[in-house]
Amino acid sequence: MFLRRLLSTRLRRVVFALVLLVALLGFAGWYALFRVVPVYYASPEEHFKYGSIGVEVPAGIPYWIWVEMPKVFPDLLPNNGEGGYVSLGASWEDGKEMPIGFTKMTVGFPRVGVNCAGCHTTSVRTSTSDKPKFYLGGPSARFRAQDYLRFLFACAKDPRFNADTLMAKINNDYNLNIVDRILYRYIIIPQTKAQLIKTEQDSYYWMAERPDWGPGRTDMDPFKLLVLGLPDDHTVGSTDMMPVWNERASETYLRHSDGLNTTLVESVRSAALAAAATKKSIDIEGLDRVQQYLMDLPVPKYPFAVNEQLTARGREVFDRDCAVCHAPGSARIGKVIPLEELGTDPNRNRHWTPAAADAFNHYAPEKPWAFHNFQSTNGYTARSLEGLWLRAPYLHNGSVPSLVDLLKPPDERPKLFYRGHDVYDQENVGFVSFGPEAEKYGWKYDTVNVIGNGNWGHTWGTALSADDKKALTEYLKTL
Amino acid sequence: MSVADDMTPLDEALRKRRRRRIVVLAVIVYIVALYLAQLFNPNDPVVYRDIVDHFKYGSIGADNNANGIPYWIWKVLPEVFADKLPGEGYESLGFVSEGRDTPIGFSRRRVFVDRIGLNCSACHTGAVRDTPDSEPRVILGMPANTMDLQSYYRFLFACAADSRFTADNIMNAIARRTTLNPLERIAYRAAVYETRDQLMERGRAISIFMNKRPDWGPGRVDTFSPYKIVMLNWPDDGTTGTSDLPSLWNQRPRVDGELDLHWDGNNSSLDERNLSASMGAGTTPPTVDLDRLHRVRDWIMDLPPPAYPYQINHEIAAKGEIIYRKLCADCHAFGGSKVGRVTPVAAPELQTDRNRLDSYTYPLSANQNLFFAGYPWRFSHFRKTDGYTNMPLDGIWARAPYLHNGSVPTLADLLEEPQNRPKVFYRGYNVYDREKVGFVSTVAEENGRKFFKFDTSLIGNDNGGHTYGVKLTPDEKKTLVEYMKTL
Repeated sequence: MFLRRLLSTRLRRVVFALVLLVALLGFAGWYALFRVVPVYYASPEEHFKYGSIGVEVPAGIPYWIWVEMPKVFPDLLPNNGEGGYVSLGASWEDGKEMPIGFTKMTVGFPRVGVNCAGCHTTSVRTSTSDKPKFYLGGPSARFRAQDYLRFLFACAKDPRFNADTLMAKINNDYNLNIVDRILYRYIIIPQTKAQLIKTEQDSYYWMAERPDWGPGRTDMDPFKLLVLGLPDDHTVGSTDMMPVWNERASETYLRHSDGLNTTLVESVRSAALAAAATKKSIDIEGLDRVQQYLMDLPVPKYPFAVNEQLTARGREVFDRDCAVCHAPGSARIGKVIPLEELGTDPNRNRHWTPAAADAFNHYAPEKPWAFHNFQSTNGYTARSLEGLWLRAPYLHNGSVPSLVDLLKPPDERPKLFYRGHDVYDQENVGFVSFGPEAEKYGWKYDTVNVIGNGNWGHTWGTALSADDKKALTEYLKTL
Repeated sequence: MSVADDMTPLDEALRKRRRRRIVVLAVIVYIVALYLAQLFNPNDPVVYRDIVDHFKYGSIGADNNANGIPYWIWKVLPEVFADKLPGEGYESLGFVSEGRDTPIGFSRRRVFVDRIGLNCSACHTGAVRDTPDSEPRVILGMPANTMDLQSYYRFLFACAADSRFTADNIMNAIARRTTLNPLERIAYRAAVYETRDQLMERGRAISIFMNKRPDWGPGRVDTFSPYKIVMLNWPDDGTTGTSDLPSLWNQRPRVDGELDLHWDGNNSSLDERNLSASMGAGTTPPTVDLDRLHRVRDWIMDLPPPAYPYQINHEIAAKGEIIYRKLCADCHAFGGSKVGRVTPVAAPELQTDRNRLDSYTYPLSANQNLFFAGYPWRFSHFRKTDGYTNMPLDGIWARAPYLHNGSVPTLADLLEEPQNRPKVFYRGYNVYDREKVGFVSTVAEENGRKFFKFDTSLIGNDNGGHTYGVKLTPDEKKTLVEYMKTL
């Protein structure tokens, strides 16, 4: 009845046909460009490594562009692209399509996003010719989050980022069907270029005037300027990545190097926003699974030989001089130690302002996951030292390459070293930070001339006897 | 009432004539289209029904794109640029010829024009002569002991870079050999410059890389450096990965035993190993001819290793077998507990040249995970190891020179202490040395043909290590070598 009335006149029939056509085209366009096909990893570990936290919709890079970029623009990567994404410190497991921390998900077409594991997985080798061993939950010593972003932006701005060049490379590797070819050539490639250029201008404009993060570091600007959209206050807050294993043991501790939040759940969710998830796209369920996984993720043991006799002596030193701040259950662990007492580089602390904390607490009041526990503090937290051997370089800004160096008086600590090479230095307890290979594969860390990189302060233990230092260092390997 | 009923007889006659004209025109168009489609078929490989012919001359897809060189251009290059070859024709580069249109190892496929590409047999067919005067025995699946792949590439690149590589010169040379029809002439004229530019492009990066390393010489290749330099567009990392070509026979026990393949055991999947090798011959993921490659795979599964063609003293060999069982079988016989597994290069008795191992880097293995991305056969078995695999020794008599870098000419030399192995010898001469078991390696030149001087002091060429068996008595060594002829 209804249909017959609808189609009763010629005009109506034409209008109906047009509406139907528009709807069909709309559906086809949505299907080809926007439909979301979630990927579910049954294993919590696989989910941590490759699962989505919600960045693919707003910030996913079209898969085939992502595959070809390192080959088209090797000159825009560290070491002229030797290693492709590995040159950016990506941890890539045998046989896996994506490096750890990179996701592949269909949003209309396959796109590549990032997740927690990119910055929170680290690697160790015994020599440069060796294959790395990966440690999930460890603070990445190699991953260059900033350089990955810069690489994407630099590619987009490069004249070689055009349909002819990219399609020629893609066609050399894969036989795209005719529809995908048209989509890539006329929509996806030009749109990606435009969007990346716009994203840099709108959301990452501040990166150009900040000191480089380098491998294994980040700052709070993605929180302040990308997520909250606060005005740029030009402060510098370069900080080391955090270990995220065994979170159950540190549930009551303050979060981040300055204790800017009191809860794990809020630090997990806010970090996802800083990784480019949006209010709309953030995958709360996926993040909850990650958080659950981190609760009991074991802390890796020191994989090399340890002198048991020395560790016993070292333990006594630790109990006497370190335990009050760093032993589980001690009075000060997980709490903020004021800057005046600590004496380390204050930049990161000043970088997270009361205004930023306040803004985050009012960020998404309408959401069930609204934030309430951000704060600004006057120091840095006393950290639990679990897996300390794997957390080099040391101090909140990663300014001291090894434990041996940390126990030296500040003016004897190295002023210049290279970080981001993952060959282990058993002698000094940290990563190899000097020599031609560290220079080639690492990144020059200047503690003197770069703001936020100061290696002073935290002088506890620096006055110990050489024997005590040796024993203490040996004991610290076992944590 | 139909319209036709109103027609006059004249109308009807006119209509019939019109119809007939249309039919004739359609037939003509159809015939011309068929002819053109056949003349410029976009994908028409030469098909071989016989599997042996397919192995020798069939396509694996290296001729299936711009990597394939237009047939007539390829044919006349050795004439136009005769000065760039050590002798006459492609045979002078050590390719094995049976007197057919191309040497073994080249396939032909029409992709608008006929094109030539390499196939498996180019690197996996050898020739053995009993004496300098004998005819060569052609052995399929054998490491190509005389073929100099690097010189072939260099020849092509040098041709492309030469000012004589012009359409006029090439077309004139072609005209001396065949008469192309006018359409083909137009196609070929265009293909000359396309081919030249493509060869120059390919040659640029790889030549810079190759010219900084010791020459491969016949029977050797740097398998994985082109991956880094050409396919991934990485800068030269300074490593040298030159190694000997392996044999292709008897793959089934390797698959069944899940043996690690390649010299450093970086992959345990036969199909990935084959695909990877096909890329070395010039295929790409969209152009590789999977069906035809699988035909080769199925055939080499049970291709028997060649029997030693000369006399064996079985009494002596029986004594050698006892030593072999005790000393070698664990690592080198099928069923041995360590066969096809990687022995760390640092192991006290291995310590062979580690350049090949170090040239296959972890970042390369990681990036190989994206080769064949989008296809169900995306690479997922490559991995970085810390040594070399213990190879099964089937047909070992035909696999000289020995060690992964082909640095020891004969089995007898391999059983000597490293300092007593030949420091300099010649490769590429195919007369067999029945005494020492391997090829005669002291001949620098024969009938004007020069052989490749192998200098073990050059990078990647070290002949040390693998000291198993070097402490045996001369008699024991003799029996062991005699037994190894039977493998």
